[in-house]
Amino acid sequence: MPATLPAKNFPLLDQIREIGRQARVSALAVALYDYALDLRFSVQASRVFHAASTIKLAILFALYRAAETERVRLTDRLHVRNRFRSQADGSTFFLQADRDGDPDLYKRVGRTATLQELAETMIVRSSNLATNLLLDHLEVPFVTEMLAAAGLEGLRCVRGVEDEAAFARGMNNSVTADGLLEFFRRVHESRALGAENRDRLFDILFQQRFNAMLPAGIPDSAKARVAHKTGEISTVTHDAGMVFLPGRAPYALVILTEYPSAGTGGARNKTVAAVSAAVYEFLQAAGSAATS
Amino acid sequence: MNQTTRDLPVVDALRLPEEIRALLRPDELLADRAGRQHRLPRFFYEVRSWSQAKELLLTPHVRLSELLIVDSREAPRLLEDFPHYVPCAVSLLARIIEDLRAKVGAPVFVAANGGYRSPAHRLSVHASPHLWAAAADIYRVGDTWLNTQSSVEKYGTLARELLPDVNVLPFGHQPGETDDHLHLALGYLRAVPAGCDERGSELNSGNPGATLPALLAPSPFESASAQTS
Repeated sequence: MPATLPAKNFPLLDQIREIGRQARVSALAVALYDYALDLRFSVQASRVFHAASTIKLAILFALYRAAETERVRLTDRLHVRNRFRSQADGSTFFLQADRDGDPDLYKRVGRTATLQELAETMIVRSSNLATNLLLDHLEVPFVTEMLAAAGLEGLRCVRGVEDEAAFARGMNNSVTADGLLEFFRRVHESRALGAENRDRLFDILFQQRFNAMLPAGIPDSAKARVAHKTGEISTVTHDAGMVFLPGRAPYALVILTEYPSAGTGGARNKTVAAVSAAVYEFLQAAGSAATS
Repeated sequence: MNQTTRDLPVVDALRLPEEIRALLRPDELLADRAGRQHRLPRFFYEVRSWSQAKELLLTPHVRLSELLIVDSREAPRLLEDFPHYVPCAVSLLARIIEDLRAKVGAPVFVAANGGYRSPAHRLSVHASPHLWAAAADIYRVGDTWLNTQSSVEKYGTLARELLPDVNVLPFGHQPGETDDHLHLALGYLRAVPAGCDERGSELNSGNPGATLPALLAPSPFESASAQTS
């Protein structure tokens, strides 16, 4: 059983609340599990948030489960096509290259790409086009089934990105901090994927190009490697991942934020980075105390 | 020197191994979206390797490989293993694409799954001229992406000027319409190269009396019948 820190009068909790207060968030959830200290800490970890691009973790997971069960091969090629059907009513919708984290994939429309390539661009550059292609191929019920089979109840995938008809009907992908934490723990511990696919999945997450949040809270001198996925849209800004530090076991950390008004980038990224920094400093201090 | 279809053996698919025949379904009837029945092609070019497909020019600018690109929805045997088989009508399809290229003065790009795909391809729910190698989904002409009503209609009109009987699907979002490419089809075109003998369909009904060789000498087209729909 991991140690669970008391919520009252706990300095890390106070720090996180202060960061949230200063940033004027409407909600801030944190879930932490440290393998080195066998310690679990959470704040509002069961609160449901719009997933934004963190839902891509669920699709990545389902893809590797599909590969593991030989439903697909990662070398399979898919037609790169920017045309999708809404999960709500079957209507057609298209993605906008200039609103996508990776406009390059649009240059390959009409051609093919392997599932592995699409998985990489979905995560590393947060490509919406790759996400919808993979989800179309795997299909929503399969992703749901894989999440349920792995016991990942806090991740709910109901539609692709920019499916406005589904959005209008309130069909949104959602996550909880606990759900994402459980995702990282189960994958890391090979409870949800075999070791080979776990390593492939983490290899992709290590290549993440958006590093202004969770990794930004950790000093360069720590030489951390962070396997993570960000998510930003409208009123939410998230980051979730695992932090690997030299000479110690890793920790999994999920930080989800929600704001009363729309906006992305800059200050909101810094808020998540500040929470990440607070967690890092706390674990450093706790680790030193445990050692002494 | 570039290869042409004269370098490709023509095969009677009724004489191919059962494993392949079950995928290509030569001479079988297949219903289109409206329920009309169409007989699938019987005579195919045999393509030995992907490099051969890439080297082989069907026309001065259209390589065979461009009309063979499919994704993982194709049957694995037809996707990964060689030889590949492509209906002989592919030459005529290439000709209309070449003519369109000349008319617009720009390269014409055919989408993956948008040239020939087999009846075993997961998109082949209904009879579509793609299964006859007689349709092309053109997603781009030069620098123009065909994802607007004006671009689809413009190039559709130009294609019809080349060949009035060519079938072009209208722009739209419903089945039987297109919104991200120009679907250009010659119809359910069964090409029968010279030297081919069309007897032997009885093999389909279990009569093993046919005496045709599986491999026929490469030869130019003797006849081709087109039906647009």
